[in-house]
Amino acid sequence: MDLPYHLIKVCGNVVFAAQGSDIHSFSSALEHISTWKYPVKQPDESKAPESEAQESPAPEGPPTKRRKVENGQESASKGQQGSKKNVKHDLPANEKPFLQKLFTTADGRHLVAMTGSDKTIWVFEHDGAGNLKQLSQRAMPKRPCSLALTLDNRTILSADKFGDVYALPLLPSTPTTEQQPPKSGSVTPIPTPSSTTPIPFKSQANELTVHTKRNLRALENQKISLRRNAQQDEAAGGTTAQCEHTLLLGHVSMLTAVCVGTVTTEGGKTREYIITADRDEHIRVSRGMPQAFIIEGFCLGHEDFVSQLCVAPGGRVEVLISGGGDDYLFVWDWVKGELLGRVGVLEHVKGVVGGGEEEEVNKVAVTRVFACGMGEKTSVFVVVERVPALFHYELLPSNTLQHRTTIPLPGNPLDVDALSDASSPTPRLLVTVDSSTLTSAEEGAAVASGPSLITLDQEGAGWRRTTAENLPAGEAVNMTTAELHKILYSTESLRKISDFD
Amino acid sequence: MVRHRTKKDKRQKREEYRAAIRQEGTSELPRKKFYRQRAHANPFSDHQLIYPPSPDQMDWSSLYPHYVVDEPQEDQPAPAEPESSPERDLAPLRPKRISADVEVADIGCGFGGLLIALAPTMPSTLILGLEIRVSVTQFVEDRIKALRAQNDAADLYRNVGVLRANTMKFLPNFFRKAQLAKIFICFPDPHFKTRKHKQRIVSTSLNSEYAYVLRPGGIVYTITDVPDLHEWMVQHFEAHPLFERVPEEEQEADPCVAIMRTETEEGKKVERHKGQKYVALYRRLEDPEW
Repeated sequence: MDLPYHLIKVCGNVVFAAQGSDIHSFSSALEHISTWKYPVKQPDESKAPESEAQESPAPEGPPTKRRKVENGQESASKGQQGSKKNVKHDLPANEKPFLQKLFTTADGRHLVAMTGSDKTIWVFEHDGAGNLKQLSQRAMPKRPCSLALTLDNRTILSADKFGDVYALPLLPSTPTTEQQPPKSGSVTPIPTPSSTTPIPFKSQANELTVHTKRNLRALENQKISLRRNAQQDEAAGGTTAQCEHTLLLGHVSMLTAVCVGTVTTEGGKTREYIITADRDEHIRVSRGMPQAFIIEGFCLGHEDFVSQLCVAPGGRVEVLISGGGDDYLFVWDWVKGELLGRVGVLEHVKGVVGGGEEEEVNKVAVTRVFACGMGEKTSVFVVVERVPALFHYELLPSNTLQHRTTIPLPGNPLDVDALSDASSPTPRLLVTVDSSTLTSAEEGAAVASGPSLITLDQEGAGWRRTTAENLPAGEAVNMTTAELHKILYSTESLRKISDFD
Repeated sequence: MVRHRTKKDKRQKREEYRAAIRQEGTSELPRKKFYRQRAHANPFSDHQLIYPPSPDQMDWSSLYPHYVVDEPQEDQPAPAEPESSPERDLAPLRPKRISADVEVADIGCGFGGLLIALAPTMPSTLILGLEIRVSVTQFVEDRIKALRAQNDAADLYRNVGVLRANTMKFLPNFFRKAQLAKIFICFPDPHFKTRKHKQRIVSTSLNSEYAYVLRPGGIVYTITDVPDLHEWMVQHFEAHPLFERVPEEEQEADPCVAIMRTETEEGKKVERHKGQKYVALYRRLEDPEW
């Protein structure tokens, strides 16, 4: 089956779209320019990343839970077939990790991408015409969930699954500067004894504190393996050195979004803040570097996970829109930590999905909140997981959100961005749609359709929909729809199911 | 089978005991053996916790009933503006106000020894214990209730309360910025294994949250009997630009330090085993200019 474009990013006249683990670039007329393919290892090497990917979710966490294997009787009767099936199930659905995030620097000269299961952040040089050159590939200690760029466009902020935010330079410094001690004053990292440089493991037990035969044997084994590891490290000769990254701040919860806010003081000074959101309903406002250890405030009021943060465009820098597992979008004055208002999402989703033999929707998971200026007005477009429509809100001058229209789509939207065109006063919206969810009415025309990209142009009160054609066919991927959906629709899984004390 | 039955009996006994205590409202102190619980709780899992979405929505009145302010109903002019539903949505329900704010928090209060000892020494300050284990919290709750009943005439123990909470996740849900004057972290779980260090209650990133709820000049008290953990806590507070170690002289002059050494349950246990206790106090500094 063909994969849909699940991420889309406009950069000047160029449109980047992620399809699985590849990045395509298009002109503003949606003509294909080039493709960057995720580097695939040779078959004999491919074993290693595969096993790595399997471990990746929590390499330092507790060992994975032992899974119940089919009981003896069953496996005996099914024989080989049964066990084979089991093995297949344990393998990751695809050996190439999906891209999870895509964005460009303000000047458009660099593209930053992040892949999930291999925890890697990629930086590309962009020539301005849609051609990419890979500059760096950096693996993070934990899986990043969201990325942002600082104002000066020189530092990437990476918020990860373990709740930590790391700063890493967009362009890694050359080895010569790396050896120099970090300039004091420019970045004052929180010196963490724990994170950046792993302390060599030192056993806290010794022969005198161990009393049983078994523990003594365990201690001896531990020593042997330590020695072996040390030898291996020596043999590897520094190749294990990690990329430079600095811990800025941390939540004790999975982070879901990070963005940068700015405030201009009366003295004309621009201050930068880091805004982070987590699965436990918090939106935290911290000072920017080098004082990220100071928490300025929280925006509290969400009652379910927060998945999206969006600072309002058009000079309203203090307005933040957030969405997640709640039935509403929240509008905040993040500088004061004040809730300005809420606007319903669920009620409009019901207008799209409800009314059928299907059971009624009673919860929503917001996967995108995208704001852009539309002429004089500020529009906010919202994508809700597994809902085939785009919700159009307007941010009024009073900083309240108002629902304008629900734009029905033939399938589930995955991402949205806007393409400004000199010929039109309002930008043209680009929406990527999961083709595997195209509704039956149009299925006849688009059976086994490839990636689906839809453009929307505002026409009076409505929207004119055009489907882009002549998109390059992607690589066929051996993947079932269910597996694909598990990767594409992961926001709802952030919701807590707490049924124990 | 036999083992199974005794287990059930134990649970039954425990439930009966606790139900009796609730019903009678006796002023007899609860007995620990009916409230024992495993010493560890995973702070990362989603416990069934009750916490307010924000500090403004926290209802303190049930914890400190003697401090409830009798507000005239005019403060909530509900019938006056029935149409403005968005306004009403913003402040769903205003909890009953109390006349003072909690200013002292004991994070991981355990069986509440420190709370009970501190309460008479600062009678006009509200003290809150926070504990993640259900049964243990229940014990402290019953203990406070009994003590209040016993000392009704003397007005004692009205300023202590206990809450079940995961402070590593939800501290800012309970306290506003700079609300607290003192935070106690007494004999926390040492989490010896390196891969469990993230679960330690002191870390550079969590210290930022303690700094957020503490007012400048406020103090974090730490005590442990594990040298490694002491070193860890010192290292992490030392590394945080918003904290400064309180000099030893001042530390020893602080009456809270003596109470912390001798009155916590763990402190007593360490005393019995002739173990050592390591104390470190950190003062919250003013935010630097930027």
